[in-house]
Amino acid sequence: MEIGSIHSFLVHPGKNQEEPHDINGTAVTKNGRLFDMLKRVFDSADNECQHHISFVPDTEAEQRNECRDSFLGYLTNCDVPSGRHIAKRLQGVTTNKSGLGLLFLMVGEHKGETKLMVSRFPADSGILAEEKARGLSVEFLERIFMKSATSYKAAVYSGRSHDRDFWKGKAVDKQINSAESYISNYWIRDFLRSDFLTPGEAGTRRFAVAVRDAMNQTSDSKVKEDIAALHHFVSGMPKKVVSARDVLNQFHVSEGTQQEIKTKFHREALFEERFRFVPDEFVKHVAFKTVELDNGGLLTASTDRFDNVFTKDIVDQLQEIVKFSTQGKVVDQRFRKTKS
Amino acid sequence: MTTLADTYKERRSQMLVPLAERLEKHLRGVFEGYVRIDRISVRAKSIERFVAKAEKQTDGKLKYDDPLNQIQDQIGARIVTFYKSDVDQLTEEVKKYLRYIESRQIVPDSEREFGYEGRHFILFLPRDIFDESVKEEESIPFFELQIKTLFQHAWSESEHDLGYKPSAELSSDQKRRLAFTAAQAWGADQIFEELYRQTTLGKP
Repeated sequence: MEIGSIHSFLVHPGKNQEEPHDINGTAVTKNGRLFDMLKRVFDSADNECQHHISFVPDTEAEQRNECRDSFLGYLTNCDVPSGRHIAKRLQGVTTNKSGLGLLFLMVGEHKGETKLMVSRFPADSGILAEEKARGLSVEFLERIFMKSATSYKAAVYSGRSHDRDFWKGKAVDKQINSAESYISNYWIRDFLRSDFLTPGEAGTRRFAVAVRDAMNQTSDSKVKEDIAALHHFVSGMPKKVVSARDVLNQFHVSEGTQQEIKTKFHREALFEERFRFVPDEFVKHVAFKTVELDNGGLLTASTDRFDNVFTKDIVDQLQEIVKFSTQGKVVDQRFRKTKS
Repeated sequence: MTTLADTYKERRSQMLVPLAERLEKHLRGVFEGYVRIDRISVRAKSIERFVAKAEKQTDGKLKYDDPLNQIQDQIGARIVTFYKSDVDQLTEEVKKYLRYIESRQIVPDSEREFGYEGRHFILFLPRDIFDESVKEEESIPFFELQIKTLFQHAWSESEHDLGYKPSAELSSDQKRRLAFTAAQAWGADQIFEELYRQTTLGKP
């Protein structure tokens, strides 16, 4: 896709500041090494930006989002004043800790489809080393703007209609899982005024249903055992941004079980999609019920199948004595040490 | 020359109908644990209704200058539930599992009027319903979801049917009678909600 225009703005921190720094911006010429570098960033944006996001409406009853409005304004005019409007928005949510950044706005068009990329390169310091004929020259440099592996941020939107499109896009935020919430909220929630396209409950439910279906439909005892262990670990997992693959890798679930679960996803992209994990939602769909009797007996089955697997008869109501019975083929049997 | 109706007809059969079927299945799965749902249904807007909406005018001008991209209820879903408090609870559930760009409680303009009521959402189609045959990037992004009580649903269906009769314009007396039935439906919802709270929730 050919790039139509690029604008760049130097954005100083300005959150909660009464007199924020002026914002200087410029158009970037469409040739030279800087353009070549930005073109590569623009072309790889769809692969690099992997979080599917959508704008959150400013009020419930009105289909408006002020960040989206500023993007549409820039798409209409593609000039420094409309781009500065976006830069001011970024400045208003940027703290001193996030620091100075260089904002790039890039627009391209191909066969009626428009693509907008918004990216922030954080400022850093570094050392310039130049080899010369008679030795080496080293120099300290401030305000180097790097496509940092740890804090680079970008978002990309594509569409044909300003009415219908540009409500959802894709983003990258290398600090999304930072323990510091203001950093993880900075790009997607505060600046883009967006959230993940798939809500946490929906993403967790999708994953949990795949796990449950894999457990119910397999006859492989290893898969069942893996899932029982996964249930134990996952139910205590904190709310963090993960994909199904991330969770399975994190708890070292065997390759066979991973494949079994993956086949339960409607398509591979959903297995890879990241969402904010909600442990309570997972437990709603993948649950094990265990009943322990005073004679040492221990009965376990998935909650939704427990009453079908075990039949319960009351032997003595007053003494609360019950009899459980079940019938099936032994597929696995093992001995475990008990705590003394 | 390809007309708007032709273009929509093709979109409807190739994209909207399959997506509507999958969306209905998806919504049934999401809300399967909710006991007081009477029905969940999803439909692709009919060609006649789409064209009629596309030709709507306001102040002598077409309301939509790009109807294929602007009309957001090309796929419409409806959840009909028992009581008014169910509508509120389901509204919160919808917000948990789906992303919206609009959520509105539609009520008559003044407290002296009775008429259409319901919760309306414009929501993103969930990513779960797309595949290679209907690709996410080529699809319309939104669908409309209405959540109503049984009485709100019954009233709006009958009112809609009467409104689409060939002799469409209702007389003043007929309009008054329709408003009367709306008032009765509103009253029935109030009383059933009270009874539900008293008998099931143990609240006054």
